[in-house]
Amino acid sequence: MKRLAILMSTAIIGLSAAVTPCFAEKIVMTGSTTVLPIAQKTAEVFMDENPGMDISVRGGGSSVGITALIDGTCDIADSSRPIKEVEIQKADANGRDPVAHIVALDGIAVVINKSNPISKLSKKQVKDIFIGKISDWSQLGGTPGKIVVVSRDTSSGTFEAFGELVMEKEKVIPAALMQASNQAVAQIVSQTPQAIGYVGLGFMSSDLKAVEIDGVMPSKDTVLSGKYSVTRPLFMYSNGKPQGAVKEYLDFVKSKKGQELVETQGYVGLK
Amino acid sequence: MKKHIVQNLGFLFIFLCLLTTLFFLGTIIYFVFTRGAQAISWDFLTKAPRNAMTEGGVAPVIVGTLYLTLGSMLFAVPLGLACAIYICEYSPKSLVVNIIRISINNLAGVPSVVFGLFGLAVFVNFLGFGVSIVSGSLSLGILALPLIISSSQEALVAVPHSIREASLSLGASKWETIKRIVLPTALPGILTGVILSVGRVAGETAPILFTAAAFYKRGYPRSIFSEVMALPYHIYALMTEGAHPDKQRVIAYGCSLVLLFLVLFISGFAIFLRQRQRSLHG
Repeated sequence: MKRLAILMSTAIIGLSAAVTPCFAEKIVMTGSTTVLPIAQKTAEVFMDENPGMDISVRGGGSSVGITALIDGTCDIADSSRPIKEVEIQKADANGRDPVAHIVALDGIAVVINKSNPISKLSKKQVKDIFIGKISDWSQLGGTPGKIVVVSRDTSSGTFEAFGELVMEKEKVIPAALMQASNQAVAQIVSQTPQAIGYVGLGFMSSDLKAVEIDGVMPSKDTVLSGKYSVTRPLFMYSNGKPQGAVKEYLDFVKSKKGQELVETQGYVGLK
Repeated sequence: MKKHIVQNLGFLFIFLCLLTTLFFLGTIIYFVFTRGAQAISWDFLTKAPRNAMTEGGVAPVIVGTLYLTLGSMLFAVPLGLACAIYICEYSPKSLVVNIIRISINNLAGVPSVVFGLFGLAVFVNFLGFGVSIVSGSLSLGILALPLIISSSQEALVAVPHSIREASLSLGASKWETIKRIVLPTALPGILTGVILSVGRVAGETAPILFTAAAFYKRGYPRSIFSEVMALPYHIYALMTEGAHPDKQRVIAYGCSLVLLFLVLFISGFAIFLRQRQRSLHG
């Protein structure tokens, strides 16, 4: 028993020694799951170059990130949509001042299962599917079968952007499967033959099939040229004008090197 | 004769139930092992994640889990033990104690995600610890409290009254009796309970979801107020977020394997302690 006691106290002493704070510059980043791969990759490389930095990255969704910025629980909020008027008012009331930084461009790809023969849809058709007007693939000339609509949940910036760009603010049908992340949408669509969903361009993979929207395939080129219409900028919000570590990091993300990293994650860099 | 047949059928049924349970345990271990084994290597256990979570290892994640578990025990063991000693040794047998006892049992039935929300409201926001090791440890600690209290209580009750009386009759005070006689006798039982709750705490996701876990951090936590990566949440994050699902899935299974072995190892240690206690006192 004595040995055990010694073992336990060594563990405790070891723990307290290990957690003695050392003064590193700390950035807490949270928000959009769409921006998450960009945030993660750039933070990783940035910390490689600046060993004194301590950045932690979390997901949650754009609204979660902006709320955290307003509450003062994070330094940078990732968002795949611009901040809303209500949120600006709340931030004002809290004495916070969100400043937007565009870090990348992203197309929202409408995706279907690989076994689905459909390859083109108009924006109107996509909208009709998501509001429930079109409910069977045979109505679009596909193999008959009930369409399984997969959407993002309401705290998602991708959901908001899709709502603005495609749905024209109409509501997604209640029967839609609301998913908490891009990857969850991708997973369901890749496993369900009748499914249709939407994901950021960075989440496209060989397991999914993107459809042409109004005759344009989502790709880096069509997003950058503006030909592909379901395109939105991705943001990082800082509180006030960025300073110190936050400024250094955001400058890095917007630099040539940072934008190259953005491209490696499948997004469209700013040119 | 008929009685015999019924009895045998009954035994057969029970045996089949046992086999089914073992079958599930076996498939879980087999499934996680076959999918996760390819990810396991020395680097996997000792290096930090690299290249957008698709390469490298999970060392900071394992360390994060260890910190959270140790932290929760530092909080829950003294508190839980004190509670158990009070209930068993000091409190008068009354209605109040019964109410306390029922409350503790109810606490054990609270879903773990509720502890997470509680931690978010109280430790993260109200007390201002932020999303950190402290907040996560405290949330996990509260989750472990009822387990530790009830197992300590059992261990204390199991100490024969005659031993206590012998000590008191030699002139020892009540506290001396508890400290020198009752606690050392009950210690193996208490430790078993503690170790089992360590196993439980190490695998919990919900309480740390809002209070401690980060999707990505580089290297080891630098203070108890930093966010931390932890195995259960890391598995969840790899499966739901990030842009490279194929590569992430392999790592997620690797993490599951590590977590499974960690918990099996801890439980095995508890069983070993219990066996030893039995052979000493039985």
